[in-house]
Amino acid sequence: MFKSQERARAIKVGFIIPGLSYLMLMAVFPMVWSLSLSFQRWKAATASPRVFVGLKNFYTIFFEDSRFWNSLRFTVSYVLIVVVIELFLGLLLAYLLNEKIRFRNFFRVVFLFPMAAPPIGIAFMWRMLLNPDAGIMVKIMNSLGMNVVRWLTDAKLTPFVLMSVDIWEWTPFMFLGLLAAFQSLPVELYDAAQVDGASRFQTFRFITFPLLLPIIVTLVLLRAIDAFKLFELVFGITGGGPGSSTESLSYYIYTVGFQYFDLGYACSLSWIFLGIVLLISNFLLQRLRKEV
Amino acid sequence: MKSKKKVSGFLIFTWIFLLLFTFWTLFPFFWGIITSIKSPGEQYSTAFLPHFQFKPSSYAWQVVLGQAEGERTKQGLRNSVLISSLSSLLVLFMGALAGYSLARFRFHRWKNKDIAVWILSNRMFPPIAVAIPFFLIMRTLRLLDTLPAIIMAHVVYNLPLAIWLMIDFFRELPEEIEEAALIDGCSSFQAFLRIALPLSLPGIIAVYILCFIFSWNEFLFVVTLSYRKTMTMPVIIAGALTVRGLDFWKVSALSLLAVTPPVILAALTSRYLIRGLTLGAVKE
Repeated sequence: MFKSQERARAIKVGFIIPGLSYLMLMAVFPMVWSLSLSFQRWKAATASPRVFVGLKNFYTIFFEDSRFWNSLRFTVSYVLIVVVIELFLGLLLAYLLNEKIRFRNFFRVVFLFPMAAPPIGIAFMWRMLLNPDAGIMVKIMNSLGMNVVRWLTDAKLTPFVLMSVDIWEWTPFMFLGLLAAFQSLPVELYDAAQVDGASRFQTFRFITFPLLLPIIVTLVLLRAIDAFKLFELVFGITGGGPGSSTESLSYYIYTVGFQYFDLGYACSLSWIFLGIVLLISNFLLQRLRKEV
Repeated sequence: MKSKKKVSGFLIFTWIFLLLFTFWTLFPFFWGIITSIKSPGEQYSTAFLPHFQFKPSSYAWQVVLGQAEGERTKQGLRNSVLISSLSSLLVLFMGALAGYSLARFRFHRWKNKDIAVWILSNRMFPPIAVAIPFFLIMRTLRLLDTLPAIIMAHVVYNLPLAIWLMIDFFRELPEEIEEAALIDGCSSFQAFLRIALPLSLPGIIAVYILCFIFSWNEFLFVVTLSYRKTMTMPVIIAGALTVRGLDFWKVSALSLLAVTPPVILAALTSRYLIRGLTLGAVKE
């Protein structure tokens, strides 16, 4: 499209260089450094020197580190549960708000609030609501005749507390994405379905759902990748406890890296984490590659 | 008749569900506001009607903004504003250029698709995996607890999404306008600067605000790269957590200070943000 091929080339390459080289320098280089550290033992908190230990860190992670397996198990079940519930609720909300209902824009804006607020602020507000001595939630449940629930001290309950807050924060993400998708559906099909006398459920099951499926898959993957990085809610609400019942992968690595200063080991953990995320995001990227 | 009745049943269900969900969404914010205007002695009470059930007090706000901790809060707000606006500006600069290049030109050795997908893959990295080497780099460069360190980290964090969205915005502009400008004697750089950039301004503003919000809310990089001078609002909130537990009135006031700017920005630009939040996966 450009007159002078050479000048166009200069611009095409020149334009992309700042961004690309920045990412190379600040994203790829740190990762490579981290990879080299993952083969070393480096406990910065003690005076012990950095030593090359080969695959020892990874051996320890896989065969001796039960805290890693715990955090992986917790994170995976957390992701599975919140994503399914958020999808279901978001789908229901989007379906209802796709009808010509009043105040639709009001709802869209209000539902944006939880996503726009800093997660750590959210975490503290919920910690306040759920506080066993003072929290309004507990008081309400008491006044309804339910026993005081030790939300934040019973290891069986704490994972569900975190999940509820996640659902509060991110169901709107599913809702907004799906609402946009609903609005792009072809109207003609629905007119035809109505003529054929299909019920509400049948229309959804056989027309809407199949058409939405590609977008649902994309949204689910996006949300899953994001939920996998769970950190602020753990930091702000439970601190990983009680015990290690709510220790997410990110939080565990943070503890190893920035509290024990066991930097080599933290890097090995990071790379395993990265591997898992890459595996999941690969599905998403392949999907997006088709659309670009 | 019959079908009309059915529809109204559906409507009733819709409204009950929507109102419940709205209540559930807004209640934590509401409770935060209420708690922030209670006196410390009342923070454990369930009273929620100011003037009727309890006497509103500005104590929390006086502590948070006044002499006791005001300096720290103001510094936090200042840092937050500086870091978010500067890092988003840098992101916008590099993002617009790269996005335009990928939208308008064809690359050969690596295809446009490969470059775009590689760029986006940086967004999928778990921040904690990058935080440790980042901490070490900044320590080596003696940049820990400085604004540049955090700004640099936030640029990496936001750039991939920005480029990705920019590609989309530029591609939606009709190419013919720029071609016409070229025929009129514009250089291709001028065509970008005078035609493409102004035309995609709404999109560019939306990307800026999205990056601003992400940077404002970001916690992990700031908490690992700063310890005194460069803490942002989210980290200052985290600092309210002491061994004694949480002073709810203080946390509420601080959280509200941190929550309000991004929430207002989001409300003002909600139409554009939705697309950004869903990575443009859903074409509106």
